[in-house]
Amino acid sequence: MNAFTRKTISSVCPVCLKKIPAVLERKEGAEGIWLSKTCQEHGSFSVPVWKDRFDFIEWTEGETPLSCEEEAFCSGDCHSCPSHLQDCCCVILEVTKDCNLRCPYCFAYGGNEKEYPPLEELKKDIAVIAEKGGKPLLQLSGGEPTLRDDLPELVRFAREKGCSYVQVNTNGIRLAEDEGFVRELAEAGLDIVFLQFDGTDDEVYRKLRGRELFEIKKKAIENCSRHGLSVTLVPTVVRGINDEELGSIVDFAISCFPAVRAVHFQPVTYIGRYPHGEREHITLDELMEMLCVQTGIDPVSLLPSRCDHALCEFHGTFIVNRDGKLVPTSNRKYFAKKKRSSASENREFVAGHWTGSSEDLSREVSESMDFDSFIYNMTHRSMTISAMAFQDAMDLNLERMARCSLLVYEDGKLIPFCGKYLTPMEESEK
Amino acid sequence: MICGKCNVELKEEPTVFQYLGHELTHPVLRCPVCGQVYIPEDLVRGKMHEIESMLEEK
Repeated sequence: MNAFTRKTISSVCPVCLKKIPAVLERKEGAEGIWLSKTCQEHGSFSVPVWKDRFDFIEWTEGETPLSCEEEAFCSGDCHSCPSHLQDCCCVILEVTKDCNLRCPYCFAYGGNEKEYPPLEELKKDIAVIAEKGGKPLLQLSGGEPTLRDDLPELVRFAREKGCSYVQVNTNGIRLAEDEGFVRELAEAGLDIVFLQFDGTDDEVYRKLRGRELFEIKKKAIENCSRHGLSVTLVPTVVRGINDEELGSIVDFAISCFPAVRAVHFQPVTYIGRYPHGEREHITLDELMEMLCVQTGIDPVSLLPSRCDHALCEFHGTFIVNRDGKLVPTSNRKYFAKKKRSSASENREFVAGHWTGSSEDLSREVSESMDFDSFIYNMTHRSMTISAMAFQDAMDLNLERMARCSLLVYEDGKLIPFCGKYLTPMEESEK
Repeated sequence: MICGKCNVELKEEPTVFQYLGHELTHPVLRCPVCGQVYIPEDLVRGKMHEIESMLEEK
């Protein structure tokens, strides 16, 4: 434990976003591993990236530094990137900038503009994405995508063009209030509802979303369930607001199984809109510890990504047993760390677990693990608990971004998520 | 089916398979004398392959 001392990487100046060298290092008198960097013009910056809750070297084993060539092309400015190390697992397409919430935290700065690109323009984009992205998982996002009445038509078009899976990233308000719209989305071939879901207490929603939403979330899940849409709960985790809600969110997810098939935690990232000056990063290992303490999940059942960088993600696969308990099927002890997955393998794994099965789940769950029961349970009774740590201008590590398979479509280009939404820090935030 | 080593008839028995920390059972033919089992190809290419893929996250 704690054998890590120092590693040189590349990052950007958080103020001017110019590419600068950085180090991952231990600092005297401070806990964990820090990303430290100095911009000649804007000064020195340092932010924790690992809190030693788990062994850094073990977790990141198999991650290789960027070669000189890779280092040279990865400029930190993804809008001009000529190349990229990873293929495409998921592509995000913003279908509107408009939103029916004004969340204090929003990576996309939603709701500031009433922009709705024409349907035909979006269809052209989808056709390009299906071809360029290798028939990816397409996430229709925003803003709030359900504000478009023609969203079902976009879903149908995406499926026709061969997108492997189609997902809608939503706050759930319209899904709760307009069941007919949910039915239309299901009939159009929507696979997954990626539902903003920050807690089981309205105090959390007042702080994070500006209004009470818990009843709306429940109604949205009920409507999705009625029309066979699989739901992934997506909590943004903010220190002091909902970092003690992780256990109750997982319990809630289990209570909604099989309508809810997954929980995908996202520790807050300071991109887009966020409270001025706040920089309370929750590191991936810190989030894992919180989750394990609050749920009783054994940490060994959580695995790093084999597609994206190990510092970007963790996930565990579980079977929901007849008592509503999570029985892990993933185990880091047996995990082939050095074997990386392609983006397409990752897409099939992720989407396969996020989508539901149409089979009747009334069949008794057998506790005896014979081959047939195991296959049945993994196919019909599995739940995935995962997290994705996005990067901002403070903790950006180009080694991570170069291996990103979550891409955002814009003007004919596929841009790594953290490059697309990277937001410069204001001088006054320093 | 006869065990090539012991020359006695194999009998179908529940058998434990261990893989990546999991123990799963399935009935296969086993020699009552030496314990050697016969795993048919369709099981290997079918359910065993499916379970391997699930556990290896393929």
